[in-house]
Amino acid sequence: MASLREYLDPACVAVDVRAADKEEAIRALVHIADSAAGVKDPELLVRDILERERLAPTGLGESCAVPHAHSDGIADTRLVFARLAAPVDFGAPDDKDAHLVVLMAGPRDSAGLHLKLLSKLARMLHDADFRAAALAAPDAGILAQLIFDRDS
Amino acid sequence: MKLLVFVLNKEEFLEEVLEAYVEAGVAGATIVDSEGMGRFLAYEVPIFAGFKEFMKGNKPYNKTILSVIRNEGVIEKLKKLVDEVVGGLDNPGTGIMFTVPVDWSTGLVREEEEV
Repeated sequence: MASLREYLDPACVAVDVRAADKEEAIRALVHIADSAAGVKDPELLVRDILERERLAPTGLGESCAVPHAHSDGIADTRLVFARLAAPVDFGAPDDKDAHLVVLMAGPRDSAGLHLKLLSKLARMLHDADFRAAALAAPDAGILAQLIFDRDS
Repeated sequence: MKLLVFVLNKEEFLEEVLEAYVEAGVAGATIVDSEGMGRFLAYEVPIFAGFKEFMKGNKPYNKTILSVIRNEGVIEKLKKLVDEVVGGLDNPGTGIMFTVPVDWSTGLVREEEEV
């Protein structure tokens, strides 16, 4: 089974990420991925994620969103887990703005892996206790530990 | 006694498949309208909408045929006939057939009334 540790570098877990809207949030998360380990083409990746958002919004509800894309802009599958400083609209069915945003991106030939990771993330974010702990985590290190503990 | 489950992805063969059931000696079956998991996820759950392109060529809906088989010799005969109808169940996307043991049943067609 896909383990989050394999795809989520602790350097890609962040708190208090500032963004005024969905596009800024996506750009900020791509920037975090790029700073941690380099992204082949960050601008292409942002475009592909926004294109995917146009197909159907990725707001899950309960203040969570999982923007994602298959893209030629990134060489391998990676995750970025961010808690925003202020929530932004990701088109969730319950109309709640997203506070916890998890970005998943990877090459086009990884559909099976992406399905597994998205399902795992959705299940994790549907857990009210996990969400409450993630929203209350005092720093990124503790948030990363929460995620890895929940996944083990 | 076995429960034979057949998920037929190529619905257009339903009539011929049921003829094969009768020919093989299956006295009764229940046909259920069913739906593949991939189609449901890609079309009904927004976060999986990006996977629609991977569904191309897959049949969105299928039929699930349930039947309780007393005489297990029927299963081999049926498998052969169904293979002929659908062009081989080993081909991906054709269908899935399996059995599970049944330790009790009631309400089945009486043995002496079976075709």
